[in-house]
Amino acid sequence: MAVASTYRDQHFKGSRVEQERLLGQSCTLYVGNLSFYTTEEQIHELFGKCGDIKRIIMGLDKFTRTPCGFCFVEFYLRNDAENAIRFVNGTRLDDRIVRTDWDAGFIEGRQYGRGKTGGQG
Amino acid sequence: MSRRKRDDGYEHGYRKRRRVVSEQAEIEDRLESLIIRVGDKTSSSLESNLEGLASVLEADMNTYKSKILRILSECPIQMPEKCTIYSTLVGLLNAKNYNFGGEFVEQMVRNLKEALREGQWESARLIVRFISDMVNCHIVSASSLLQLYDSFIDAAMEQGVPQVRRDWYMYALLTALPWVGRELFEKKENDLERIMAAMEGYLRRRNTAHVAALRVWNCDTPHPQEEYLECIWAQVRKLRTDEWQERHIYRPYLAFDSILSEALQHNLPVILPPPHTASTQYPLPWVVFRMFDYTDCPEAGPLLPGTHSVERYLIEEHLHQIVTRHHNERKELATQLLAFPQRNKIPLEYMIVEVLFSELFNMPSPRYLEISYGCTLIELCKLQPSTMPQVLAQATELLYERIDTMNATCFDRFVSWFSYHLSNFQFRWSWDDWQNCLSLEKDHPKAKFVSEVFGKCLRLSYYKRVNEMVPECYSPLLPPKPEPYFKYQTEGGNGLPGATQVQALTELLRKKPTPEEVLELIQQLPNPLKDDDGDMEPSHNPLAIEVFVQTLLHLGSKSFTHTFAGLAKYHSVFKTICENEEAQICMLRQVYELWQNHPQFLGVVVDKMLKTQIVECCAVANWIFSRDMAPEFTRSYIWEILHLTIRKMNKHVVRLEKEVADARAKLRAAPSDSESSDDDPNREAGEKRRRTVSNKDTPKDGEEQPTEEMVERMEERLEAAQSDQKNLFLIVFQRFIMILSEHVVRCDTDGKDFNTFWYQWTVGRLQQVFMAHHEQVEKYSQTLETLLFTHDLDSNILDTFRQFQALRS
Repeated sequence: MAVASTYRDQHFKGSRVEQERLLGQSCTLYVGNLSFYTTEEQIHELFGKCGDIKRIIMGLDKFTRTPCGFCFVEFYLRNDAENAIRFVNGTRLDDRIVRTDWDAGFIEGRQYGRGKTGGQG
Repeated sequence: MSRRKRDDGYEHGYRKRRRVVSEQAEIEDRLESLIIRVGDKTSSSLESNLEGLASVLEADMNTYKSKILRILSECPIQMPEKCTIYSTLVGLLNAKNYNFGGEFVEQMVRNLKEALREGQWESARLIVRFISDMVNCHIVSASSLLQLYDSFIDAAMEQGVPQVRRDWYMYALLTALPWVGRELFEKKENDLERIMAAMEGYLRRRNTAHVAALRVWNCDTPHPQEEYLECIWAQVRKLRTDEWQERHIYRPYLAFDSILSEALQHNLPVILPPPHTASTQYPLPWVVFRMFDYTDCPEAGPLLPGTHSVERYLIEEHLHQIVTRHHNERKELATQLLAFPQRNKIPLEYMIVEVLFSELFNMPSPRYLEISYGCTLIELCKLQPSTMPQVLAQATELLYERIDTMNATCFDRFVSWFSYHLSNFQFRWSWDDWQNCLSLEKDHPKAKFVSEVFGKCLRLSYYKRVNEMVPECYSPLLPPKPEPYFKYQTEGGNGLPGATQVQALTELLRKKPTPEEVLELIQQLPNPLKDDDGDMEPSHNPLAIEVFVQTLLHLGSKSFTHTFAGLAKYHSVFKTICENEEAQICMLRQVYELWQNHPQFLGVVVDKMLKTQIVECCAVANWIFSRDMAPEFTRSYIWEILHLTIRKMNKHVVRLEKEVADARAKLRAAPSDSESSDDDPNREAGEKRRRTVSNKDTPKDGEEQPTEEMVERMEERLEAAQSDQKNLFLIVFQRFIMILSEHVVRCDTDGKDFNTFWYQWTVGRLQQVFMAHHEQVEKYSQTLETLLFTHDLDSNILDTFRQFQALRS
């Protein structure tokens, strides 16, 4: 079963129930532990092995607007996203073990790191 | 918590009933659990477990019979590796309770009939095997089993039905014989011989034209690529020469022989195979994948069972079943594979690797996602770091050695797997060992394999990394730096036609103009196709297209997202200047020119253009086969693009087909004005259909009822899409035929051998189209035969078509 982790976005606008519902039907994955140099192309090549990708949104440092180690991958079909969790999560991309998790859905603004220095944490 | 106590007897009785019901459910669950877990690792012996469980079930028989019947009839099918455990259990129950035995037999027969009716072929086959094993346990009489076998043989001899149907009935028998062959040999030798003779006759007369399409390698050295039915037949024949002594299957019933032989047997009722209908789908044939023999495995270790030993078949089947059960959980799958029950008696890692590769290379397509096999192999390496990586490396070497005869489809999968695998292990490989490929021509499979692997590794890493991972001598095979080629910025580039407008457009685009403003600038460009007379209006302006496409895409070349943004914003400009196929082909040429050194980017852009309907599928197909693209023809990325194009078309048609079917069902289910009966069967069926076809992957349809008019419009759209699809296939196949025939003729004229690497690749790519899309191509098989694949065609080309047809005949 491609189950979500225990992480829940604190900034999610809506109730916990709503968040769970969206996670349960989402086609979007959060992908973490990327190198700062990992490109959209690399992500597309690896995740594309699970199905047609609708879009990739690179996570950016809030201040420098450069990649800061995470991204969102949205598939057209949930089943493809499930397969990404089954078969990509925990394997390597650009020599780093990547982590995938369900995301409630990309909203403009969520691509920016929320850490104090602009990156992730 | 205090509650006002109600003193009516109803409440009390209700609570009591509820307690009883929930107790009952608890017991049922416990029984189910006991039955499912029997034979799993426990402290006591299997025999005492079986005896104990048989007693428990017998004691609970009156209350829980239907549940017990259901679970016992499902378990041997869900867990086929425990077939003999369940047959023993039922045998013990039958010995205690003849009636139960009879009801169980009836249940199995019901299940078999249903499975045959519903086309659940694998379940049906496992039921036949289980029923056969029930003869070993004295539940079913051998003579009635033979009657079942006879009716299956009759089904195999039936005229006028597809061979794939007849094959299945043979296969079901052949794969049951290892279980019951010995028993039949001892008690019914003559009948067994008769059946063997019938099967021999069948196999001799069979058509094996499909084999060529399904083989991974097109030659039989070092290992014959045997058709599946011929292989099991050889294995059963060998078993016969061993007097049906089979030593691999664990048979718990042997320990209970005295009890079981006292039991009364039941006769199977007559089971008639359901007749063939046009809509019945049978399993496709396959070729047995062999890459190892005993000489490949360590000398000191256990022996790899021979190709024609029944043991080989049984172990492989079991390994495939483990894959089936756990294919979605790679860690569990790796664990279960390595925990194989008889792992000490076989070279387990070799058999696992062979089974996984056989699935990865399965023709026409793998059962599961390619990546699932890749990451399972990685898990296996993690769990057995001292043996697995070496076996995998050995397998890779073997596959590389034999790549000269590997079909194009499997070649692609091998490239994809190997580069993916390397990307998880820092791209470390003994590249020095493969230096021989450097002296081969570029189109030689070995050289091509290495260059394509480099290309894929590049996609998963970056240019510097790929250059660093190989010895310098490999540089001729390395891909170029993946950058856009913007000819206007090269030396002398500002002298090219359109260069000034490129400059102007670039500056304009930086100011974020509207599409109209961009169009205005573009349309000022002169049209080189226009002749001075000005009579004929050219279909497009190639200069305008060149300037617009290259400038826009160059500006967006930083990333996919940048490019997509440009395509979206100026979508209307594309639609205006690339209205027809000629214009679209021209545009594709421009995209190619810009991205020729970055095939991945090229593919992604074409994909997006198809998606946003800037370009039509047929334009992409014609562009791929155009003269301009001839030098790139043997590069894998070309075929990636063709296949994504065909898949898009197929998906579109399938989606429309479903929409029409759903709408028609809704229409049928709608209550009419005059009546609204609740027990209208159509309505119920319609509602049920609606529920079962609703799928979270389609957009939620509004609750509004489609009208007849709407459905008719949908059907028109579907017809148009199917016509487009047929057209696309016709174009693709026709271009293949043309290009191959031209080559053969040219070689004839020049007195050269036509069987060049180019020719082999191209025939392989033609085969790939048939295989990758066989379900959809099937619809147009008749048209293809009439219009394109006619008798006068070169036999090599025609053979490809015939092999495809043979898949389902």
